[in-house]
Amino acid sequence: MGTTRTIKNKHAANGSGIKGSKASKNGPQHDGVIKAKKNGPKTPQPGRGINGRPNIADILKKRKKRVYTEKELGIPELNKITPVGVTKPKGKKKGKVFVDDRESMTTILALVQAEKEGQIESKMIKARQMEEIREARRAEAEAKEAERKAQFDETKESLRKKRKKKHGKGGEDEDINGFKASLAAEGTKAAKPKKKRVSFAPE
Amino acid sequence: MRPLTEPETKVVFDKLANYMTDLKSLIAPLDDGDRYVFRLNHSRVYYVRLSIANMATSISRDALLSLGTCLGKLTKTGKFRLHITALPILAEHARYKIWVKENGAQPFLYGSNVAKAHVGRWSDDCPEHSGCVVLSMADIPLGFGVTARSTAEARRLDPTGIVCFRQSDCGEYLRDEDTLFAG
Repeated sequence: MGTTRTIKNKHAANGSGIKGSKASKNGPQHDGVIKAKKNGPKTPQPGRGINGRPNIADILKKRKKRVYTEKELGIPELNKITPVGVTKPKGKKKGKVFVDDRESMTTILALVQAEKEGQIESKMIKARQMEEIREARRAEAEAKEAERKAQFDETKESLRKKRKKKHGKGGEDEDINGFKASLAAEGTKAAKPKKKRVSFAPE
Repeated sequence: MRPLTEPETKVVFDKLANYMTDLKSLIAPLDDGDRYVFRLNHSRVYYVRLSIANMATSISRDALLSLGTCLGKLTKTGKFRLHITALPILAEHARYKIWVKENGAQPFLYGSNVAKAHVGRWSDDCPEHSGCVVLSMADIPLGFGVTARSTAEARRLDPTGIVCFRQSDCGEYLRDEDTLFAG
């Protein structure tokens, strides 16, 4: 005969005990009274044979086939290439790693600031060097200009002296011709040829 | 809303370092034990007190419009773009400054670059293509930009020549009103 068992606290068995709650809805409804199942006649277990010994076929089925890893078998590894980004580190947290503590932030900040200072410094040095080069070029150009001017003045002076000498000795025409020739040699404006003129014959 | 990751922090600091000298003061602890932190919401980076950031966690991401000071926006390519809202922070520790005269303030606030004729004075030893803060002669920050010429070069420039390329100006508060804080 089966025995009956009562549970005093029926809410404990049915979850929270609140009417509409999930726990009260789900599960079997048995008002706290559980009837024990009758013990029927024992059925033979599937793995047992007639004498109570396990069948050979069942044993073969049950035994799991061991799967060997490549390491265990000692097979030489293939020469495969795995890109750096593809390999995933084991045991590392997936997803983003946030920087919120002051120490790590200060470290990043120091790195960034040092890098930026270096960049600005190199920029300044470069700018200064360029400025120096420009200054040197300007000085050179000025020196050249001064030299050219001096040479021009010298030539003018020499011509003036020559003219004075000639004036004292020979005629004026010769002197003028000489002056014109020297001017042409200097690269100043050459004498222009006379313009062609057209005139109508009188009637 | 979430804190920044390491590469994001680096990008943000990198951009800020173009304009500022003293970055450490940004994350220095305050007298009351609080400190400022960086928070990301809808790809915008906010510079906010930790206590306020903690309180803001009770507001859902979609409902949170803004908190603290919006520094700028992280683009989808991973770059960081400074907004005009970051100007007070930049101006406080500016690396290089350009003061514009009265006649130059309005053209700048309308979105044009700074011409040499409009410059009242500028920081010495300023290399070209470096970040600078543009101020009025009364020391009121108007915006920020990138120098077009070094100080030495700019001295030889003609009055119409550009000395600073505008990046952001206070006029954006009106011009970009719709997109500045959302969208």
